[in-house]
Amino acid sequence: MPPASTNTAIEVRGLAKHFGESRALAGIDLDVPRGACFGLLGPNGAGKSTAVGVLTTLLVPTAGTATLLGHDVVRERAAVRRQIGVVFQEPALDPELSAREQLTLHARLFHLDAPAACAADWIERLGLAEHADRPVRKLSGGLRRRVELARGLLNRPGVLFLDEPTTGLDVAARARIWDELRALRHAGETTLFLTTHSMEEADVLCDAIAIVDAGRIVASGSPGGLKAELGGDVVTLVLERPDAARAALMAHPGVLRVVADGAGVLRITIADGPRRLAGLLECARDAGILEVDLRRPSLEHVFLHHTGHAFEDAGASLAQRAAGERRHA
Amino acid sequence: MSAPLSDLVALTGRELRRYARDRAYWVGQIAFPLAFIAFVGYGLNDVTRLPSGASYVGHLATGLLAMLVGSGAVGGGFSLIEDRASGFLRALLVAPISRTHLVLAKLIARVLVSLVLVTGLGLLLAAFTPVRIADPLAGAVAVISITAIFVALGVALAVPLRRLDSFRMIAALVTVPLYLFSGIFYPVSTLPAPTRWIAHVNPLTYGVDLLRHALLGVHELPLPLSYGVLCALTVFAVGAAVVAFDRGTRG
Repeated sequence: MPPASTNTAIEVRGLAKHFGESRALAGIDLDVPRGACFGLLGPNGAGKSTAVGVLTTLLVPTAGTATLLGHDVVRERAAVRRQIGVVFQEPALDPELSAREQLTLHARLFHLDAPAACAADWIERLGLAEHADRPVRKLSGGLRRRVELARGLLNRPGVLFLDEPTTGLDVAARARIWDELRALRHAGETTLFLTTHSMEEADVLCDAIAIVDAGRIVASGSPGGLKAELGGDVVTLVLERPDAARAALMAHPGVLRVVADGAGVLRITIADGPRRLAGLLECARDAGILEVDLRRPSLEHVFLHHTGHAFEDAGASLAQRAAGERRHA
Repeated sequence: MSAPLSDLVALTGRELRRYARDRAYWVGQIAFPLAFIAFVGYGLNDVTRLPSGASYVGHLATGLLAMLVGSGAVGGGFSLIEDRASGFLRALLVAPISRTHLVLAKLIARVLVSLVLVTGLGLLLAAFTPVRIADPLAGAVAVISITAIFVALGVALAVPLRRLDSFRMIAALVTVPLYLFSGIFYPVSTLPAPTRWIAHVNPLTYGVDLLRHALLGVHELPLPLSYGVLCALTVFAVGAAVVAFDRGTRG
C-alpha cells in the first residue's frame, strides 16, 4: 500500500470517460486538499456524476489517473472503497428495510465494532430516531437523504462524496442537510467532495470549486477568488438593438468586458459599477433600454465568463449527452 | 467470524428479511401448487396411468415443487433488477465487499427459502397425497442444484435486461420449455421419441427426478447420473452467475 500523499485527498490527472461516441469527461485535472469541502459545479450533463462514478470505483476511466488518499481508483479499488462514503444523486436505499436495518447492514459490511450501536449512534446524530424503524419507502425525501448521509458517514470515511445532495429537497430539508455538511466541514476530519448545479450551494458550502462544462474543467479556485478574478461588477442590459450600443459600451471608462448573451442581453463587466452606472445607461440610451440589472459578481458570472454561455443554456444543449450518460451509468 | 463469512451472513440476512416480509409472496408460493394439484392433479388422476403404476397426483405434486424451486430462483435474478432500480445495488457496489458475495448471498437466501417451502409443502402434501419425505439428502441436493442453475439463469438475464417487463417475458420464454420438457407434468419416458432427447439435455430433468426420488421414492433416471450431472452443473452455474454479475456491474 503506497503512503498517502501529504496534503492531497484526491488527485486527478487527464481523466477521461467516454460512453461510445459521447465524451462525458474529456480529460480533467483536479487537486482536492485534505479536509476541504470541494465542489464540482456545472450544469446537468456536464460530467459531474461521471466524475463521481470514476472516483468511487463504479466506472472505469477511458484514460487518465485518479488517486484517492494515495490509492489508485482503478488498481486499488478495495482500498478506495474502505476510505469513502457516497451519497448518490438518485436514491440508493433498500425501500423495504428500515433505516436502522440498512445502517446496521452497512456497519457490518465495513466490519465496524458493535454495528447495531454504531447505527443507533448515527440515527441519533441525524435526528432520525422517530423514523428509524419504518421501511424507508414510507419516509419523506428529506428523511431518506438524511439516512443516506448517515450511511455515507458511518464508516468515518476519509472522503465523503455527495452527488447533488440537495436536489429535489424542499427548502427546510435542504437547510438541514447544509447544516450537517457545515458541521462536517467544521470538524475537518472528512474531505467533502460535492457536485452541484446550484451556484448558491457551491458558494455557501465550498472552500474550493471547479467549474465543469461539457466534460472539461473551465475554472477552479475558491468561490471568492474566482469572483474576484472577474475584476468588477456585472451590469446586465436588455436592449432593443444591442449591436448599436456594443462598441460604445466597450469604450466606456471602467468597462472590462461586454458579452452578448442572446435575445438582446448584454452582460457588461465594469469596475466600480454603482458609480459608473449612470454613464453606462447614457451610452446605451439610443439602443432602446428595456431592462437594467447591476450585481456584484456571482458564480453564475464566473461560469458565463469562462464558458461564454449562460448556465441554463449549457444544461439544455447537453441534454442529449446527459441522456447517453444515464444510459450507460 | 472471518470477514468474508460475516459479509455473506449480513447480506444473506438482508435477503431473508425481504422474503420474510413479503406476505403475498408466501401466499402465492403456497397457494399455487395446492390449487394446481387440487384442480389439475386430482382431475387427471383417474384418467392418467403412469408406466410405474404410481398415482398421477404424487407425480404432479413433486414436479410442481421442483418448478416452484426453479421459478423462485429465477426471481433471484429479478431481485437484482429490483436492487438496481432502487439504487441500493450502487450502495453495495461502493462498499468494500466482493461481488461474489453479493451473488452468493442471493443464492444462499434462495436455497434456504426453497428448502423451507419444499419441506413445509412436502409435509402438508403428505397428508392427502402419496408425497412423503423419503430421502432428505437427495431432496437437499435437488433443491440446491435447481436453485443454483436457475439463479444463474436469472442473473444472466437480469444483467442485460433493465426493465422488469422484459425480464419477465424473456425469463418465461427461456424457462417454460425447460419446465415442459423436464418430467414435471408427465414422465420423460412417455415423451414422443423425437423430443425425448430434449429432456435428456435439460438440466431440470435431473433435478425433477432427484426431487421425486426424495419426496416419493420413485425415479426414472439412474441416481448416480442425476447426482453427477447436478453437482457438476451447480459448480458451473455458480461460477457463471458470479462472472456474469461481475461483468455486468463493471462500468
